[in-house]
Amino acid sequence: MNNEESIILANRQHGKYFMRFLNVLPASLSSHDTTRVTIAYFAVSGLDVLGSISTMSLELQNRIIQWIYRLQVHPDKDTGDMSVCGFQGSSTVNIDFNSRNKLYRCGHLAMTYTGLCILLALGDDLSRVNRKAIIEGVKALQTEEGNFAATLSGCESDMRFVYCAACISYILNDWSGFNIKSATDYIIKSIGYDYGIAQCPELESHGGTTFCALATLSLTNQLDQLSEAQIEGLKRWLLLRQIDGFQGRPNKPVDTCYSFWVGASLKILNALHLSDYANNRSYVYETQDIVVGGFSKWPDTCTDPMHTYLGLAGLSLIGESGLFEIVPTLNISKRAHEHLKTLHEQWASS
Amino acid sequence: MSDCGDSDAGWIFYKDRPDWNDIKPVPEDDGITPVVVIAHSEKFEDVYDYFRAILQKDEKSQRALELTKDAVELNSANYTVWQYRRELLKELGTDLRSELDYVESVIKISPKNYQVWHHRRVLVEWLQDPSQELDLTAEALLHDPKNYHAWQHRQWAIKSFRLYDKEIEFVDSLLSDDVRNNSAWNQRYFVHNNHTGWSDMNVQREICYTLEKIKFVKNNESAWNYLRGILLHDKRGINGNGVVTAFCEELYKNRCRSPFLLAFIIDVCEEAIKKNETNGFHNVERAKELCTALATKYDKIREKYWMYLRDRFEMYVCVNGENSQ
Ligand SMILES: [Zn+2]
Repeated sequence: MNNEESIILANRQHGKYFMRFLNVLPASLSSHDTTRVTIAYFAVSGLDVLGSISTMSLELQNRIIQWIYRLQVHPDKDTGDMSVCGFQGSSTVNIDFNSRNKLYRCGHLAMTYTGLCILLALGDDLSRVNRKAIIEGVKALQTEEGNFAATLSGCESDMRFVYCAACISYILNDWSGFNIKSATDYIIKSIGYDYGIAQCPELESHGGTTFCALATLSLTNQLDQLSEAQIEGLKRWLLLRQIDGFQGRPNKPVDTCYSFWVGASLKILNALHLSDYANNRSYVYETQDIVVGGFSKWPDTCTDPMHTYLGLAGLSLIGESGLFEIVPTLNISKRAHEHLKTLHEQWASS
Repeated sequence: MSDCGDSDAGWIFYKDRPDWNDIKPVPEDDGITPVVVIAHSEKFEDVYDYFRAILQKDEKSQRALELTKDAVELNSANYTVWQYRRELLKELGTDLRSELDYVESVIKISPKNYQVWHHRRVLVEWLQDPSQELDLTAEALLHDPKNYHAWQHRQWAIKSFRLYDKEIEFVDSLLSDDVRNNSAWNQRYFVHNNHTGWSDMNVQREICYTLEKIKFVKNNESAWNYLRGILLHDKRGINGNGVVTAFCEELYKNRCRSPFLLAFIIDVCEEAIKKNETNGFHNVERAKELCTALATKYDKIREKYWMYLRDRFEMYVCVNGENSQ
């Protein structure tokens, strides 16, 4: 098909796009002030998927690694308490506190997860990660319900942070801070009557939270806890999300990011091959800005780093040439995952 | 969020305020190798320099409370600011009703922000007063009937304080505005599952309601999913309810070929096969035929899926040695 072949990946522009976000952002992005690590993750992991990590100067790679490590919250010097350990998303409250209000300087599960992903993509050996402390920090955030809050400092708890906690535990190869049984119960309770999975029990099924749930079940080896009806129901619910690209919920508009969230969910269930790659692909490309780089959620709208990364990751899942393979559960490149495996071997033998 | 620039007339930087000159601002320390640097406005930096200072000092004062408001206005996603604000509210004994009004005004500006809804929830828990929550969320849903945050807050309030009484009417009105509103269908299920219950009579009533909606718009996944959901509570299962199966065959006879109808009949066939209750309408051959029709004509984008399903029915024949009638 002619028009299909004429679609080109603006590889070079996307690389530049991510480099700009690693550099300086305009004041209009001030609302992302506490989550800068996630922007760095989209950029670094995006460069990784583009096969462009090697085009970053070593100086820049080291700067990023130093910056991430500065955001690590260490155990309390006096008491040894580790409940606030993890990574912060920025240095907005990266200040010294006396013991009374030290809770304000605490790790955040999404920042710990994406921070670790950045370190892995850049080939860091995680030797400066206080693994024990981070796992204690994860442990402190699991609720009675089985889900996780993001931080100890006044935060909602839901499926997103179950996923982040599972990724952290997998990366650090230590599940002692993650009660698999109660997390699995929570996930199964969050399956809806339509077989999609929601942010919490009884809420509406959602493509993003379905991904978080399935990836967690996969990382914890619990996919066999789903019944055949649930697995087949999930496959259908996920495949019905495809219009040309994918939507996140029934009767909602298509959005580039769901080519990853739904695509990766299908991949985890070994059912991605049942979707229509050509339509998926051409939708994602409709949201590509070939001039300045980046992808947006809808055609002809503003690009952002998240949709740019997830657009590329979604394309990678369907085998787009020129892109590195993605590990759907962890949402990092296979290359980064291979690096992680060697670290796990080193830890096991030491 | 609107531009929080330095243009607001009359704004005085904290560093220029005499009543703050006892505080030494604490600038952000991003180290010597910062990346993803946001070029904040001067106002942003000023407010947050003072926020860090009071946080570090752990100052619990009225002026600190006012400062958190400015910090929220510049970034309502900063969960530390909200958390500190809650500490201040407790410590200062501030009137929480006025705080409800305040957070409502922030929700109106940022209705898709996790932190504001969390703040709201904590306040309602403290006050043990959910009396405004249905109106607040109804208002948010008026602007965006599928706002996930608003639905989550609404379900939480309804569940925690047993506010089910008028919820079905609310759902009805949303569904008459937009019968494709999947969030509203989900809420309908929520109400029945927790409140009305699944008595036979209620199940039948819900089935009739749903079939009416499907008659009105046939190609509506949300309604078909809901129908399957209610039938989970019908002892006769998805293939045993005569009203439903007759309705489907009638639609089919009248040339409706909505993929959701065909998929539903396929599911009826599957259950009939599993329960050894196949008949002239619901059997392996019919299921395979419908899978082929979907794959080749009515739902081509999922061609591979429908062929996959067709193969599964092929396997039933092998396993059960069953023939169609
Ligand atoms: Zn999106």
